[in-house]
Amino acid sequence: MSQQLTQIRPLSQPVHMPDEPATFSAAVEAEIDGHLAKYPVKRSAILPLMFIVQRERGYLDPAGVLYLANRLALRVTDIWEVATFYSMIQTRPVGKYHIQICKTLSCKILGEPLITERVCKKLGIKPGETTADGRFTVSMVECLGSCGTAPMFQINFDYHENLTPEKVDRILDSLP
Amino acid sequence: MTQDVIKVTINNKDIQVPKGARLIEVCRDSGFDIPSFCYYSDLALQASCRMCLVRIEKMPKLQTSCTITCTDGMVVTTQSEEIEKAQRAMVEFLLANHPLDCPVCDRGGECELQEMAFDWGGLEERFTEKKNYYAERYLSPMVANDPQRCILCKRCTRVCDEWMGEDAIEAGGRGANTVIGTYGGWLDCSQCGNCIEVCPTGTLLDATYRHQARPWELAQTVSTCTYCSDGCQMSLGARGGELMRVVARDRYVNGLNGEFLCIKGRFGHPFVNHEARIRTPMIRYKKGGKLIPATWDDAIRHVASKLDSIANKHGRNSIGIVGSPRLTNEALYLLKKFATDLIGTDNYAVTDSVNLTPFFANLGAPLATHRDIRYAKTIVLIGGEPEELQPLTGKQIRQAVRNGGARLIIFNSVPIRLREQASQFIHIRPGAEEAAVLALAGGATDSLVSRKMGIETAELEKVRGTINETEGDLIIMFDGSLSAAAQSALAQLSYLLRADNRRVLFHPLPLYNNSIGALDMGMTNGAIDVTQMLDAAGRGIRAVCVAGSFLPEQLRGREESLAKLDFLMVQELFETDTTSFADVVLPAASFAEIDGTFTNNDGFVQRVRQSIPPVNQSKADWMITDQLARELGVEFGFGMSASAVFNEIAMQVPGYAGLRYPLLKDESKPVQVKHDIAVQRDISNELETVRTAVEQMDESPEKHNDTPDVGHELFKIRTLTDKVAQFHLLAAGNPRPESLNVSPLYQITLSDDLRAEAVVAGD
Repeated sequence: MSQQLTQIRPLSQPVHMPDEPATFSAAVEAEIDGHLAKYPVKRSAILPLMFIVQRERGYLDPAGVLYLANRLALRVTDIWEVATFYSMIQTRPVGKYHIQICKTLSCKILGEPLITERVCKKLGIKPGETTADGRFTVSMVECLGSCGTAPMFQINFDYHENLTPEKVDRILDSLP
Repeated sequence: MTQDVIKVTINNKDIQVPKGARLIEVCRDSGFDIPSFCYYSDLALQASCRMCLVRIEKMPKLQTSCTITCTDGMVVTTQSEEIEKAQRAMVEFLLANHPLDCPVCDRGGECELQEMAFDWGGLEERFTEKKNYYAERYLSPMVANDPQRCILCKRCTRVCDEWMGEDAIEAGGRGANTVIGTYGGWLDCSQCGNCIEVCPTGTLLDATYRHQARPWELAQTVSTCTYCSDGCQMSLGARGGELMRVVARDRYVNGLNGEFLCIKGRFGHPFVNHEARIRTPMIRYKKGGKLIPATWDDAIRHVASKLDSIANKHGRNSIGIVGSPRLTNEALYLLKKFATDLIGTDNYAVTDSVNLTPFFANLGAPLATHRDIRYAKTIVLIGGEPEELQPLTGKQIRQAVRNGGARLIIFNSVPIRLREQASQFIHIRPGAEEAAVLALAGGATDSLVSRKMGIETAELEKVRGTINETEGDLIIMFDGSLSAAAQSALAQLSYLLRADNRRVLFHPLPLYNNSIGALDMGMTNGAIDVTQMLDAAGRGIRAVCVAGSFLPEQLRGREESLAKLDFLMVQELFETDTTSFADVVLPAASFAEIDGTFTNNDGFVQRVRQSIPPVNQSKADWMITDQLARELGVEFGFGMSASAVFNEIAMQVPGYAGLRYPLLKDESKPVQVKHDIAVQRDISNELETVRTAVEQMDESPEKHNDTPDVGHELFKIRTLTDKVAQFHLLAAGNPRPESLNVSPLYQITLSDDLRAEAVVAGD
């Protein structure tokens, strides 16, 4: 029984909410206002705003979450609920290159374990971890909708398809 | 209102149902059992557990009956091999990640998943992969969480949102990794614990009762809450003379509050068995001396002789009798009888902060029940903060607006949290509530009242517009801080605002569980009120008998008064400011140890039932009065029976005529007191008084612009909540402990006293 119980993902660690929300430049505020103006209901703008905060701050940090909550007149828990649903939204700091390996059926059958092994071995980290130099983060995600060209992963927002271990080496080596 | 009736056929049985009825409810009402986890009456639909599957003819697949609205001619099958197979598969699926740790789970024995597994579960599990595992943790001092037991029915998140309006608890992550929790892992909410109550598994647990008892060891007694005037029904779980926990009543017994309780009702009970309870009667033989334990006989004899000599020396009116609005109707009735018939004094009063006598004397319409509030179409709230002071009323208002489309108009000087629900929030100056009454009664020009309230006249026109558009119930709520004239005018508003297509109902918001009962028993119509009595201490008033204690607000600035009395007798649970001056202290029994009735702000007379024997040597308040009367030579003749006292109440108090304990037996069908409805009368004198007062009103007070913190009233440390260690943490701002895996009581020390209390509480 005991070996069947494996902690698969740590729960959110204690986060101390800052007193002050994040602040952004006038240009970013204008961009946010533009998105808010598109929707009759404020909270509908939650996803575009999350991407902006993530772009500006690297990930959704507590100050950023507080900013979103204030801006959308929601509670922080509402922001957290949406943020943790999407694998594109990061609630923890990630490296410069975020490698998201698809672990769903088609990729799995066509060799995802080999890809993951090669990536992790090359970078010396396990899925869910970030390299010490802060360049790479590897995470396992659900289907990215590219089953026809499986196996695949996504580095930041770029797809890399029909992967082989050799191709993985080439891709990682070519990154600036 | 006539409703269209349609015909549905369920398992070959034709059933007439109103149009728009929900299939799952219709099946259950017709005696066909349908299992479900996520469906919860009056909450948003979820349809995630898929246990309520039925076969509907002409529909291609099995349907979730919780999401189906009945249509005419629908033919439904609720039981078949196909449905059972699907349901068994669902239970197997729900159990895939569920640990089989029922023997150590606090929910074991009263768990819906456990029952469902007995009915629909398979003998063996085919799921052999690794189970999801999460560590147990605390979400707050009140709520413990074991995420791996969760079946993601999301009742907790819906209750938190729709009942409480707090959105404190949500589902994070997705798919099989979804976890119920909160951002940052620490709940910053009003700690009502309703998420614990509605949880069908052991995922959310009462942290104050954790690993203390098993449900089958507890003797369950249905009783009424002893905190606010909403009078929620609850179930006291006791073991061996100790009150272990409080839960709400079953949700299928749709009584007053369903499964709703607030933090005080659910977690405020440890005072009952607290070690600081007064243990024996005590006598202070000499002023300035110590209180010395005595026997009941000695103490009562001492009180009787003192009262006798003071009455002989200074006259009967030199004795004051004071009751608490927390006492039962029986105790208050007997106190009144004791004061008027036996002592013969006009000086009796209750320690309530407000007196609603003028309101009830002019009452032009019945009191609204909480069910009326839920289905009201317009609600006018003048002053008050129901969410903090009458949480069930707050919840009903929110549901009326969110689920019923009601329109809420708030007059308040503080931007209370309920304004998020309001269609119109009128931000008035502090103390200008009377001007709002005047405006509704049309007793002055709009320009005058608007100026005094500090608002635009257009706001008042909008209020009138909303009220005139209303069809259905209009409910007027007010807290008790109005003057007598304003209360009288308000009570007659029902005649001014009545129309063919709507009822006008009232919902006063007094502060205590039996404020209304104290009024019905006549304790509020004594010659003087409590503060006047305190001011007259040592002059007109020489001796006072108090059941309960004076409120700190009443003693403020009058600290010397009690010392001036020749004699002070106090019936109390705990030592208070009042007992420190007492010549005799008698240990009173708490609500969990007595039989009786409370009358709530709906006018419902509800039973208080004995759950445990009286703690230490305490006695029910009415029995103390009875014994004292006997010592003074008058036999009331009630013996040991609270129901005999109630029978006399039913004979003497008009609104209670014909009531008996057996008629109050079914808490799902509460009985409303028949308060006299006053005829319409000319209220121009009262309006004149209010107008004069409003004209003289100061226009300088600033409006409060900050919304008060959640719990600013709920978490206040008073005599009773002081005895709950967790309340001290909440009152100190609910600090986050270092580790979420250990109870915060073991990690946070606010002061040395708190630490000692935490050890006593055991968790």
